[in-house]
Amino acid sequence: MISKSLTVTLIIVAISFIVITSYFLKKEKIPEKYSLLWYLFSILILLVAFFPNMFNFISQKIGFEVMSNMMIAIIIGILLLVSMFLTIMISDQKKKNIILIQELSIFKEKVERIKK
Amino acid sequence: MNPKILIIIPAYNEEKNILKTYNSIIKYNENNQTNYEVIVINDGSTDNTSKICHDNNIPIIDLVVNLGIGGAVQTGYKYAYYNNYDIAVQFDGDGQHDVNYIKTITEPIISGTCDMIIGSRFVDKESIGFKSSVARRFGIKIISNLIKFSCNKKIYDATSGFRAINRNLIKEFCVNYPIEYPEPITNAIVVKKGYEVQEVTVKMHARQGGVSSIKTWKNAYYMMNVGLALIITKFRRYK
Repeated sequence: MISKSLTVTLIIVAISFIVITSYFLKKEKIPEKYSLLWYLFSILILLVAFFPNMFNFISQKIGFEVMSNMMIAIIIGILLLVSMFLTIMISDQKKKNIILIQELSIFKEKVERIKK
Repeated sequence: MNPKILIIIPAYNEEKNILKTYNSIIKYNENNQTNYEVIVINDGSTDNTSKICHDNNIPIIDLVVNLGIGGAVQTGYKYAYYNNYDIAVQFDGDGQHDVNYIKTITEPIISGTCDMIIGSRFVDKESIGFKSSVARRFGIKIISNLIKFSCNKKIYDATSGFRAINRNLIKEFCVNYPIEYPEPITNAIVVKKGYEVQEVTVKMHARQGGVSSIKTWKNAYYMMNVGLALIITKFRRYK
């Protein structure tokens, strides 16, 4: 269903993804639980490369005219979920930040008062 | 025994007003044998607010990073909690609020009839003094109706930053206080949690300098955010 060159491209992309994720994981830039998501991404790409017919079948059953549309839709969906997840994480961090700033500022005031 | 009362003054670039505001409270204390204590929360001002306070021995907490009005006021509540104050009064540093009304808004709390008192410009038609612009009043009316929707109680001056609370609420506000648009949201939440809230007429002045934290061009955005927060509050459950 898909051309040979596209298969090769997909495999290269997937392997690069795995290598990059492993690199950051090794450097402790990302924790294990988040790296899982990126590995899943790579596996998804590999599945498309090796079993294009299966994906083609599914996409037609769901109502997509071409398989690539379905793939793009899936990827956009995953990215939206990821960014929503990131928003939650950021606001959680922000809350903790605020508490730290407040407690530190109150503490500094107390220290200065005692010094006087 | 007299209750310990703390006046929390959040200040962001208030170099023109802060000393005047502080002196008005000290003068009031001398004339009326009251013992209001003050803490200024400097929210990362870029002007001389902090220096003026330190030079004049005004108690001040300098936030190490700018937090926004909610975060600043909450710092004051935490300070009140750690230092065992019985009542905390939120008081603007820009000269809008009048020290003579602190007694008015703290008295019902001292007598134990209320948990929170809001100093209000609109509670009765005859109230005096500065009432804000027509557009602003219209906005406050909408917010006031939204609060009615979310907690079944009408609060007329929903955005008033002149409020007094007792120790129970100080404790609550230490745990949870919205960082943005805190007044209308906390008013609704406090009523929903079953606390006794009342509005009392006070006189307010027009700002004597500085820029209000609610800027005109941000008003529509402000209304949307507060509206959403209040609607969510309606459907949230509180213990």
